[in-house]
Amino acid sequence: MAAYIIRRVVWTVPVVLLVIFMTFTLMKQIEGNPFRKTERAVPAAVQANLERKFNLNKPWYVQYVQYVKGVATGDLGPSLVLRDRTVNDIVEEQFPRSIELGLLAFGWAVLLGVPAGVLAAMRPNSRFDYGSMLFSNVGFALPNFLVATLLIYFVSVKWGMLPTSGWTTWQHKILPSFTLGLVPMAYFARLVRGTMLETLQQDYVRTAKAKGLRRRRVLTVHVLRNSLIPVVTAAAPLLGYIITGSFIVENIFAVPGIGRYYVTAVSARDYSVVMGLTVLLSIIVIAANLVVDILYGILDPRTREART
Amino acid sequence: MSATQIAGRVAGVDAGAPIRQSSLWQDAWRRYLRNRGAVAAGILFLLIVVWCIVAPIVSPHDPNRIEFPDAYQGPSWSHPFGTDQFGRDLFTRAALGGRISIGIGFGATLAILLIGVAYGAISGFVGGKLDNALMRFLDALYGLPYLPFAILALAIIGTVNFWTMVVALSVASWFITARVVRGQIMTLKENDYVRAAYAVGVRWYMILGRHLLPNTLGVLVITIFLELPGVILGEAFLSFLGLGINPPDASWGSMAQDGRDAYRAHPHIIIIPSLAIATLVLCANFIADGLRDALDPRTKET
Amino acid sequence: MGRLLEVEDLRTHFFTRAGVVRAVDGVDFSVEKGKTLGIVGESGCGKSVTALSIMRLLPTPPARIVSGSIRFDGRELTTLSERELEDVRGREVAMVFQDPMTALNPTLTIGTQIIEVLRRHLGLDDRTARRRAAELLDEVGIPRARERLDDYPHHFSGGMRQRVVIAIAIACEPRLLIADEPTTALDVTVQAQVLDLLDDLRREHEMAMILITHNMGVVAESADDVAVMYAGQIVEQAPAHELFHRPEHPYTEALLAALPDLDDSDARSRRLTAIPGRPPDLIDPPQACRFAARCPYAGCGDSCALEPPALRELRPDHRVRTAHPASEREAVTA
Repeated sequence: MAAYIIRRVVWTVPVVLLVIFMTFTLMKQIEGNPFRKTERAVPAAVQANLERKFNLNKPWYVQYVQYVKGVATGDLGPSLVLRDRTVNDIVEEQFPRSIELGLLAFGWAVLLGVPAGVLAAMRPNSRFDYGSMLFSNVGFALPNFLVATLLIYFVSVKWGMLPTSGWTTWQHKILPSFTLGLVPMAYFARLVRGTMLETLQQDYVRTAKAKGLRRRRVLTVHVLRNSLIPVVTAAAPLLGYIITGSFIVENIFAVPGIGRYYVTAVSARDYSVVMGLTVLLSIIVIAANLVVDILYGILDPRTREART
Repeated sequence: MSATQIAGRVAGVDAGAPIRQSSLWQDAWRRYLRNRGAVAAGILFLLIVVWCIVAPIVSPHDPNRIEFPDAYQGPSWSHPFGTDQFGRDLFTRAALGGRISIGIGFGATLAILLIGVAYGAISGFVGGKLDNALMRFLDALYGLPYLPFAILALAIIGTVNFWTMVVALSVASWFITARVVRGQIMTLKENDYVRAAYAVGVRWYMILGRHLLPNTLGVLVITIFLELPGVILGEAFLSFLGLGINPPDASWGSMAQDGRDAYRAHPHIIIIPSLAIATLVLCANFIADGLRDALDPRTKET
Repeated sequence: MGRLLEVEDLRTHFFTRAGVVRAVDGVDFSVEKGKTLGIVGESGCGKSVTALSIMRLLPTPPARIVSGSIRFDGRELTTLSERELEDVRGREVAMVFQDPMTALNPTLTIGTQIIEVLRRHLGLDDRTARRRAAELLDEVGIPRARERLDDYPHHFSGGMRQRVVIAIAIACEPRLLIADEPTTALDVTVQAQVLDLLDDLRREHEMAMILITHNMGVVAESADDVAVMYAGQIVEQAPAHELFHRPEHPYTEALLAALPDLDDSDARSRRLTAIPGRPPDLIDPPQACRFAARCPYAGCGDSCALEPPALRELRPDHRVRTAHPASEREAVTA
């Protein structure tokens, strides 16, 4: 078991380096030297100074190594547009809000989606089943900016129950997190229903029943446990959605988080921030994948011995 | 023989029997047709596509002409979807927007398939160290979140238009397809009939072309309708954020962005294109489900 | 010796979209205390469905016991509630399934899977249950039982897994053990071991056993009584010795004739005898005798073409469902 974990962890290092490399290369493609192309004209001498300060006159591989060193020590570099702030400053300020948004969204998804899936599987083809699956289908299809707009329109404007935007009190946090959590909720409902139905068909469930075990035990120990394993592994791709969705949700609800800032940075051509944020997000996704893999190893003993 | 096998055999499915190609497709098509939801979705999908192509041609309104007096009208006979803040007919614009959104959708999906199949087939077929390396690389690519990646890709390319969107979106989302194809090829490779073909001396490219790839077709067709929603939504998101298709060209996402500011008073401007997206995505999902059930009948049967 | 299990006119049907599958359509048999009943028949004849019906383990849509009675020790099983059944299963009646590879939960240790049944029915505490589980594993022939309690099913081979399944089944000393093709999925060498094990355990624990198989050889080895099933019905039931030496039903005769005979040197150069034709479709079974289409003795005007033959007792303990039992046939060329 420990060997499995260590193996997985060790493998992430080259993956992270590769990701940084790719992002780095991409960024270099966009702007060889961002300072030359900014709108505000920069005097030549100042420009030369800036270039030297930021190592922009060194060959790319040197820059890459510098950057990786920076990432490893937690320094993501300076902002190119906001001259007095570093990327780290921005991250420290905005990132926690995005994390909170993401976690709350995930919470909604698990709280509402998983039970819905379980109940649907236990009453297949019932009205609840059809209803919840229809709901989940719709949840996938509606673009979240529409959901956000509708929610704001009805809940905030018409009924005045919750604030329209911002991120200060807990009331502010309900709508954005719910909106963001809608798709994961739908996803979980479907997934849990599917895996439960499949598990219920398995021979070992029949064996459990044949042993005369009480229904509740058969459900919790044999069925649910095995059904929830795929759900855990689904958490990783969901993270991708949450990141993507946060760009929109933060935008609409004016949540001062990373998602919103990313868009701002791209429009403002602050490429150092863009790169820093991309690397950060990538590391998070990779870390999440790692955690999921480890969890999977804990939950399903068969995977532990397979070669990675 | 188990009870479920009995029921399954009676329902016309011999679980485990080798499937001949022609009858598979015919059976699948018949099964698909029995699924009313999927059929309805398919028809609706086609209708929307037809509408997008035809409506701008027959419409009496010029989608790009600005007529302030007509602005912000609600749905009416002359403007079934109303008008936007510039007085432009939304019915026509939505159809035009559909052309672009759906076009990008299909374009990117096709590109995803091409890249994904190539990558996955090579990796799965060759196996061994190459497969290992390719999969590791793929793992790394998974680490790049979708939207940022697409945004970066667009930034590199420089301009934003139909084709660059196709490229950016497809480059950011081919990973899953590659993995699925690879998995499929690897499973199929282990089948006895493949070994038998090798044993008789069939060449590798024939095996790939005649045994492996055709059997992946089913999965690929399903994948098309699974990737399509993702791409369409991706384009919508990008355009909504202002990073995608720009005016005066309309895509559903950019139309939604147009409607953002005025939604309190005139919600229809943002609702119409969003509903269009939602409907198309829903249809695609239903079609994908229908296809999945049609091609793998063992999953259902209650 | 009393009758432990009595099944009377059992009918289990499957209600599918394609129609009603009459998988078990009039099955009568009985099992005596401490004895083994072998149920033989080809694939699809309804043997497994019968077994699952006794334990009420069939998914209730689409399956349903339409009529008939199953009396275990005088108690009617078909009318019990789910809760009452939960007390019977595993404790009074236990089952061993066909495929050991899928019968165990892959994410739980086998120790857990044995202990849970001990705790459920016998209320043992953890330590006693663990000790008993190790004893059971030992009894079924798994070496180093104590250590292996913490292993997972995928650490065991097929034969070993089947032994574990058997251990779980006998854990609470049930009075009836139903073994549904327990050796079909195993290698031939392992088959014999498992059958011997079942036999030993049966005698040790004084259990009655229903042994379901399509293999006549297995039945000849292990069964006291034999019931032959065809197309959802029992067509012949007799003590084993009697069935093999004086079969009455044409189907039974054909089954026995199909067995390869290694002693007969002529036989080795001849083709194996098969039974021509296929079993009838169970959605729309023939109104009359179901074997008639393949029966070498059925004639056009015979009663078996018009109405289904009843199960009648030709000799004490020997019942047949046919219009042409061997002992009533004239010695005429067919």
